[in-house]
Amino acid sequence: MSIVPFITIRELEQKLAKKEITREEILEFYIRRFEAFDHTIGSALEIFDKESILQHTSDNHGELYGIPGLIKDNICQKNRTTSCASKILENFIATYDATAITRLKHAGALLIGRANMDEFAMGSSTETSAFQKTHNPWDTSRIPGGSSGGSAAAVAAGLVPWALGSDTGGSVNQPAALCGIVGLKPSYGLVSRYGLVAYGSSIDQIGVMARTVYDNARVLSVIAGKDNKDASMQQTEKKDYTRNLTGILPKNLRIGVVDNALHAEGVETEIINAIETALAVFEKHGASIKHIQLPTLDYAAATYFILSRAEAASNLARFDGVRYGLRNKKASTLSKMYFNTRHDGFGEEVRARILVGNYVLSAGHAGQFYNNAQKVQRLISHDFAQAFADVDILILPTHPAPAFKFGEFADNKLQMDLQDYFTCAMNLAGIASLALPCGISSNNLPIGLQVVGPRLSEELLYQVGHAYQQNTDWHTKTPTGF
Amino acid sequence: MTQITREEIEKIARLSHIELTDHEIINAMKHVEAVLNYAARVQDIAHDITIETPKNNNIERDDIIIPTDPQPILAQAPEREGNFFIVPVIIESN
Repeated sequence: MSIVPFITIRELEQKLAKKEITREEILEFYIRRFEAFDHTIGSALEIFDKESILQHTSDNHGELYGIPGLIKDNICQKNRTTSCASKILENFIATYDATAITRLKHAGALLIGRANMDEFAMGSSTETSAFQKTHNPWDTSRIPGGSSGGSAAAVAAGLVPWALGSDTGGSVNQPAALCGIVGLKPSYGLVSRYGLVAYGSSIDQIGVMARTVYDNARVLSVIAGKDNKDASMQQTEKKDYTRNLTGILPKNLRIGVVDNALHAEGVETEIINAIETALAVFEKHGASIKHIQLPTLDYAAATYFILSRAEAASNLARFDGVRYGLRNKKASTLSKMYFNTRHDGFGEEVRARILVGNYVLSAGHAGQFYNNAQKVQRLISHDFAQAFADVDILILPTHPAPAFKFGEFADNKLQMDLQDYFTCAMNLAGIASLALPCGISSNNLPIGLQVVGPRLSEELLYQVGHAYQQNTDWHTKTPTGF
Repeated sequence: MTQITREEIEKIARLSHIELTDHEIINAMKHVEAVLNYAARVQDIAHDITIETPKNNNIERDDIIIPTDPQPILAQAPEREGNFFIVPVIIESN
């Protein structure tokens, strides 16, 4: 068997092309990886059985033929449970495929299971999952980040070469950075949200996690592009994001370092040093560095809290015990059934976000909160547009410190929410962001940075990231014990 | 400083159709207050601005009926009768 742990999609494709291995052997290998190691990290809510996986795909020798991936459990896979890691959907079976899933199946991908997540994608540590904790493979006493923590942990531990997550305020890029892998939050409207259980409909995107930039681009190429089932999309044609990955940094690349992010309160020295080392690599290969400020950055989290919770309160109103999912059967009236079902079915974090959301939308408060947040969102978009007039890409931290311990913010929910500080601005502006591993801390934990570009700049971000990975080896580092 | 009273949390919980125990109300008050006090800073800088938004043409989909089988959905109903979802009584009679 010539498959080694942490093998990339690119390497697997080459072996398949040379007929050195079959897709059944690849699948067997990864199923065994989950069996051997997932009890220590708990990344998957479910791994499907081999026959079922092969039946739930096509035989097309498409772009991901024979390559297994894990799917965050808020993305509908037909005839599979789609629980959003919530009791309210614990036994809900999706009756259709998300568009991303349809495209992956059409490309021959093997959808191996469902990844654990924060409940309804609400969280930054995967601790709010109603079912299990996911552990960071680099140190199992620490969280993997969230809300796509299961997806990140599985890829980081080499249990699967790619995974899908979703990102509303940083839920792909923060866990990717904390687990030492590559994450992409696409521009809003690049990837269809049809079949993604909605959290913040004006900011949600399905994102990709993989070991390398090339691999990440390979998966995005399959799922991105216009879909007539999602009217909120850009009308972008499907494209191959791996096509222009030369490994050479684009000529005359102008990089803007967001100084008020890099030197923000709470950013640890090791993070700053790792990012400055990365900047030196870019400079060595011809990029120019400009230090800039994004003045509204300090207001992004506040804006995000208001807008995302408002949309969440609306989106989660549908979970009421009437048509599917959990129902409190002791209730004697319809009203009691609604109230008790939603009490029993939603965890504390989800309930709190719904309350905040309805508060900021309610009469007497909407002006102060919701309307003002919409204005600040426009200011944030404007800040980015101004920045991109002078530079091609921005670089800033993804996280202030390496992965924290379980329970670290149990008594300080606001601090947990502020883990979104460095990522949510890009969600609000609807622009693209790529998380790249750029260092290892003194206690052997991954450090990642973000490369940010204007809307629909994914190709540029990948070119920059791929060039970076030809000249560094952070993406080849792996946690011990896997 | 936004101060969330018990009455306000109870009102918002009613709007949200979520039952909360006493203990949960107290925790919710703290949690919601902390988030709102942080979020209130948006008013410090909020002002109107015109920005360029991406041009997007409204797409239209042809109005073609694609029949969907309701059975897989009805099969998941907590309670059903034929093609109906059964729910508890709406108005309690005394």
